[in-house]
Amino acid sequence: MIAVAIIFAMQQKKFSTSRFEFGQLTEVKGIYHQFPVPSIKVTTKQDFFGHSTYITIPLVGYGKFGAEGTIAELEKEKNILLDKMEVTLKGTLLYSDGKTLLQIDKNENPLIGVNAGKTYSPPVIKELGILHLTGEILDPKCYLGVMKPGSGKPHRDCAIRCIEGGMSPVLWVRTDKGETSYYLILDKNGKKMGDELKDYIADPVAVEARAVQYDDWTILFLNGKDKIRRTGGLSWFKTKDGDIHCSPPPKINNAN
Amino acid sequence: MSTSYVAVGWNRQKKIYDWLIFGFCFVYLSIFVLLSLIFNGEITFETLLIRSSSTLAVLLLHVILAIGPLCRLNKNFLPLLYNRRHLGVTMFSLALLHGGFSIFQFHSLSNTNPFVSLFISNTNYDSLAAFPFQALGFFALVIFFLMAITSHDFWLHNLSPKVWKTLHMFVYLAYFLVLMHVMFGVIHYERNPVFVIIIFAGAVILVALHLLAGIKERRFDNRKFNLIKGGFVYVCSVDELENSRAKIFCLGKERIAVFRHESKIYAIHNVCKHQGGPLGEGKIIDGCITCPWHGYQYLPHNGQSPPPFKEKVSTYDVKVINDVVWLNPKPYPEGMERSGASLTIDNHE
Repeated sequence: MIAVAIIFAMQQKKFSTSRFEFGQLTEVKGIYHQFPVPSIKVTTKQDFFGHSTYITIPLVGYGKFGAEGTIAELEKEKNILLDKMEVTLKGTLLYSDGKTLLQIDKNENPLIGVNAGKTYSPPVIKELGILHLTGEILDPKCYLGVMKPGSGKPHRDCAIRCIEGGMSPVLWVRTDKGETSYYLILDKNGKKMGDELKDYIADPVAVEARAVQYDDWTILFLNGKDKIRRTGGLSWFKTKDGDIHCSPPPKINNAN
Repeated sequence: MSTSYVAVGWNRQKKIYDWLIFGFCFVYLSIFVLLSLIFNGEITFETLLIRSSSTLAVLLLHVILAIGPLCRLNKNFLPLLYNRRHLGVTMFSLALLHGGFSIFQFHSLSNTNPFVSLFISNTNYDSLAAFPFQALGFFALVIFFLMAITSHDFWLHNLSPKVWKTLHMFVYLAYFLVLMHVMFGVIHYERNPVFVIIIFAGAVILVALHLLAGIKERRFDNRKFNLIKGGFVYVCSVDELENSRAKIFCLGKERIAVFRHESKIYAIHNVCKHQGGPLGEGKIIDGCITCPWHGYQYLPHNGQSPPPFKEKVSTYDVKVINDVVWLNPKPYPEGMERSGASLTIDNHE
């Protein structure tokens, strides 16, 4: 019996080093963007020539909700539209694998300040063409910080709840070499997807979509459910984690 | 076996048993938590809680299900049977901790009621790979809950033993649901084959134990008694009966316990009115036939529990002729007094 405890404890899959700074509030200052997903673009440093490096931090709400509701309430309360304005937000950071998110909770008075006079720099946008990717759709909040594991079948229901609650779905792709990439998913019109993705969440899927680089995030504009399919099969019979991996993209299609 | 109900009729054996359960759980959880923290330092409190409670609950479930057939195969396991209900309630408590916290973790703080979300978030009931495993666990938990709240003798008597036993046999359905919950759930994530091997081995062991116990019981019941005279069946010689002990015979699909007590032979129905224990495997203590499972008692000459208790079993006629025991398999009404067969010379033909 004790042997069973030892085996179960030691043979568990290793968890990621993701962090959720629960109970710790951090002030973040940057330019708020409504599109493609509510996020705050933070300039980290400038070099001698004035070139900035930055990080785009998508915003998420408290619990299993997106941030739109909180932002809308703040805008109504302050009677101001925050899009493209420099704001100082207070929230809880979560981060992993080079990506950072900020949870804002209306009960914590997240809007510290607004600077309408700050010059707005539009995002750097680059068309990447049609990509064919194999990965797993998950909610970024749980995967990048709050839950361990934040992916796979045990977490599926939670991911569905988060995405249907307004969180932006993310396609998590791993290459055979262990490199990871994250792609925000929107529909072809740039609208958030929720219920349409329900059957594909937390399962290996193959996706064909137009990819656009927005600053330091890549967006996949998914043109309908027929461009996504589950790769299928019982996980029991898959021999390695590499079953979820990125196939090399075809030649870039510049039709768009 | 009391006229008024108490929550737990504590005695020394029960206290020892419960301390052993507590000790085992404590050791298991300590090892699991400690090793998880050492070898998987990034684990969170929530995941630790969910996994430690679930693995221990599944382990206890296997133990609980093994006790029955083990006791039929070897009487040395009987002490485990005595307080099995406490094991069951402990297992349910752990399962409730796992299930309750999981529902909170994965379904609360969302745009849907957690219990509704449990059934509508993942609706791939037509897919094995994507099957909503959490619903399976939920239904298993409901069965365990019903069993736990009816585990007291109060419910045994008020639901009737037959209904109570039927309800508690649903443990096998719950076990199946738990197996599927694990196989369609966490096993899809934890791809290490050792988990599948352990789960599979547990199921195989339980099936094997049940089959072996069943084969043994069937062989016992199929034993033929061909010597019949005037309605009486030759069953054994007097020498085969130990004093204050019994032998069990299956006649006409009923098991009858033949006891030797104070120079007399008595026969009563073998099945205890409490939970169907084998009275013939017990012994006579202070003049009462005592069930080996939970200590229920019956007087050998009339099959009645000693006052103020009210349980009764059927009695049978028995004769001793030339040191041979003859048994009439026709039962008398429960509680009817029968004089038994004397072992003195007068009764020998």
